[in-house]
Amino acid sequence: MRRSYLGEFEEVVLLTVAVLGTGAYGVAITDELDRQTGRAVSISAVHAALHRLEEKGMLKSHLGEATAERGGRRKRLFSVTVLGSRTLHDIRAVRDQLWDSISPQGLPAVSL
Amino acid sequence: MPTPPQPPRWATRLLEMACASPLLEEMKGDLYERFLRNARLFGEPYARRQYVREVLGFVRRRPGRTSGVIRKQFTAESSQVYLFQPAMIRNYFKTAWRNLLKNRFYSFINMTGLTVGLAVGMLILLWVQDELSFDRFHAKADQIYRLENRVGTGSSQQIWRTTVAPIAEMGKRELPEIKDAVRITQSNIYSLYRYKGKTFTSEQSAFVDPTLFSIFDFGLIKGNPANPFPNDQSVVLTEATARRYFGDAEPIGKVITADGKKRFTVTGVIRNFPKNTTFNGELDLLLPISLWFKTIYAERKDGRNQDNDFHEFNYVTFLLLEPGVSTEALATKLRNIHLRNKADDTDLTYLLQALPDMHLYKSDGSDGGIETVRMFTIIALLILVIACINYVNLSTARSMLRSKEVSMRKIVGAAKGQLFLQFIIETALLFALSALLAIGLMSLLMPFYNELSGKQLVIDLTDLRMWLVIGLTITATLLVSSIYPALLLSSFEPLKALKGKVSARLSDAVFRKILVVVQFAFTVMLISGTLIIGNQLEYIRSKELGYDKSHTFSLHMRSMSSHYEVVKARLLSQPGVTDVTRSDAHIVSLNQQTGSSDWDGKKVGETMMVSPMAIDKDFIPFFKIKLEQGENFTGAVSDSTHFILNETAVKVARLKEPIGKRFKLWNREGTIIGVVKDFHFASLKQKIEPAIFYYNPKNEDRIYVKTTGKEAAGALAATERLWKQYNADFPFNYAFLDETFDDLYRTEQRTGTLFNVFATIAIVISCLGLFGLVAYTAQVRTREIGVRKVLGATVPGIIGLLAKDFVKLVLIAIVVAVPVAWYVMAQWLEGFAYRIDIHWWMFATAGLLALAIALLTVSFQSIKAALMNPVKSLRSE
Repeated sequence: MRRSYLGEFEEVVLLTVAVLGTGAYGVAITDELDRQTGRAVSISAVHAALHRLEEKGMLKSHLGEATAERGGRRKRLFSVTVLGSRTLHDIRAVRDQLWDSISPQGLPAVSL
Repeated sequence: MPTPPQPPRWATRLLEMACASPLLEEMKGDLYERFLRNARLFGEPYARRQYVREVLGFVRRRPGRTSGVIRKQFTAESSQVYLFQPAMIRNYFKTAWRNLLKNRFYSFINMTGLTVGLAVGMLILLWVQDELSFDRFHAKADQIYRLENRVGTGSSQQIWRTTVAPIAEMGKRELPEIKDAVRITQSNIYSLYRYKGKTFTSEQSAFVDPTLFSIFDFGLIKGNPANPFPNDQSVVLTEATARRYFGDAEPIGKVITADGKKRFTVTGVIRNFPKNTTFNGELDLLLPISLWFKTIYAERKDGRNQDNDFHEFNYVTFLLLEPGVSTEALATKLRNIHLRNKADDTDLTYLLQALPDMHLYKSDGSDGGIETVRMFTIIALLILVIACINYVNLSTARSMLRSKEVSMRKIVGAAKGQLFLQFIIETALLFALSALLAIGLMSLLMPFYNELSGKQLVIDLTDLRMWLVIGLTITATLLVSSIYPALLLSSFEPLKALKGKVSARLSDAVFRKILVVVQFAFTVMLISGTLIIGNQLEYIRSKELGYDKSHTFSLHMRSMSSHYEVVKARLLSQPGVTDVTRSDAHIVSLNQQTGSSDWDGKKVGETMMVSPMAIDKDFIPFFKIKLEQGENFTGAVSDSTHFILNETAVKVARLKEPIGKRFKLWNREGTIIGVVKDFHFASLKQKIEPAIFYYNPKNEDRIYVKTTGKEAAGALAATERLWKQYNADFPFNYAFLDETFDDLYRTEQRTGTLFNVFATIAIVISCLGLFGLVAYTAQVRTREIGVRKVLGATVPGIIGLLAKDFVKLVLIAIVVAVPVAWYVMAQWLEGFAYRIDIHWWMFATAGLLALAIALLTVSFQSIKAALMNPVKSLRSE
């Protein structure tokens, strides 16, 4: 099965878009990433990832309403496409499968 | 509601430039939103920094660049050529750098020429800027004028920069256009200051009106600006003076003693006078002018005081005027006030000189130092132009070698604009390197330059004005020298160039030739200028002055003067001393002048300005001045009513038979007993003016000692011993007349030396360029030379072949340069009353010199090319 390749960062961004639902745009995604993963990423990095994902057809976007806090500029709101959704599920399936295949002694114990 | 903080506008603009338009809106929106949050949470500075960082992130990543979807959507926009593609710009830098390294020889020549040119050009321009900045730092500089008097009639008319005391007060009272006035009279009536056992002797003091501190901006750091002199025992010091007296201690309230009797309390300290003020270095102590008036008028019995004394022209007076006042009308009004108070001064008029003009213009408004400033500005521009021409010539000449690169770029899709940008960047890179080196070179040269120019310039990296000069120079030269080569290189037609058909189009070669001609024309002008200035200075120095100043030194006697006969006898008994005499002024530069004279046959309203000098009876033989008519003073009592005139005075006074005629100087009446041949008692820039000598031994406090020359040291030591005996507290200051004489021409000497240096540099830079061009020609014609040699051409023949073109150009340059140089130098010589004639041989020498230097430069490469083994050069095919 040939699947689109997703980088780790792209995957996290894609997931975050899904988490945010209807309010997913550049700054919101950046903030959510920061909150959830503790990574301080720059807006430009997020933008780059978003556009790559859109190019790959995993995200779609439309322009939202203009708001005053953005100096009258519109947001581009992103949502996950069917392809994106399928890709995420595929990745998860592969990961789950791999986790399931690890024998109990396969990983050194980590105290959480 | 306060306006919300705004992100840095330049960053936003950068973003707009760098990123594709459809994505811009959301990017800007996101960035702005984040900016507002950061500003709220962490403050605006942090938010701005963060904003810039984000923008740079966008510029680097350029989202949408690889985005096929987006590109498909907006093909119309993305098909246009973006001039500022970062990748291409990186590529331009890379190719530029490789080119520099690949052609090390030419890069070296280019860089050396540019570096030296820029460094010297900027040094001169900094000097010029410093000269132009004189006295302009006062906030009210435009409204401050110096009051001057024009006195005398006919040929002896002249301008005094000082005026009478009452006019300032009267003018202020009667004329509304005068807002304020200040009088300054420089006088060292106290010569010895003491503080706690420390003695200071060489202090320069002036008596001033307290308005000095409100009219000018000589920042009063300590003291009360409204009342800097609470009483007549107050003194204001400069910072440096205060430090000398009191060290780090608080100066206010300290008491210093003057000449052992007067006590002054320090009531104020002003900042040191800046270097670019006419007051610089002239004043250490400022005393209240009321004290001066008290001192000089207290004993007067004729009822004169500071409010009615229209006789003493001793006061430098500055007026602060209302904006837009006509100075001529005001001068007339002041003259009327003067005449109302002293009706017989009909030959006197007032004039006003603007404060910023004082340094560079003469009192009558004609050109003074501004001439040198103009001259040096022109030289700086010439040097910069020569350096630029070097660059343009070398890079256009070598452009052929790059025609293939240009063509390939064009074929794979480079637009003309991009190529243009590429070559501009290439030039800019070379310039940036040269500019850095030039600034380094400047700081290295600064100490020597300061010594030469008599300035104290420093490379102060925090000085904005300095950066302005440096920045403007570099930008202007960069523009001048980058545009033409870039245009030329980007205009190659790819097909022809690839077929190798761009062999120098005629127009380019002609253009290059013109530039070489211009370069050498400048060089010839500078060389002939150097020759003429040098000759003129030599002429002044060796001109027969009309008196003998050899091996003679002179000093002010102070207390020795009352024991003159003893001193003279003791000195004459010394082995090294051949003669001793005295006078009341210095023979080398007789500064004082008076219009107060009367003689048989004087017309009504006529004034003759004469330089009076009291001399001893042996003064005329001492200096070997020739007595044309009559006789010398004998030392008899009757000599107090005798005068000796110089020839000019006789001529100006229109005396046919001068001997025995009556003459009156001030209130001293007498007869003329002798006429001396004219001699130069001032700078040779001036004509010899009327002079009059009278006999008044009491006032003659300047002693001259003539030595044998070899034993001058012994004579000096003996004089110093005598000095110590009578003036124990004072330092022994003497000067040989030759030195004093040279001081008169310090500025001219300096101009001469600087001209020499600059001309040399211009020549070196021109030659560097020529050297590069010849090297290039020889390289291009290697095969031609090879073939010629095989066919039997001789080495001299080939050298001639290569050199001929350039020699022709230099000859044309000489023809162009000579008339211009002739005209300019004639103008300069106008400034001297006694001057050399300009001869054709001066230009011939300059031309030959330029030609010789050019030939030398050319021949080195030509000989190398001519001696090359033809087998080698032909095999390379």
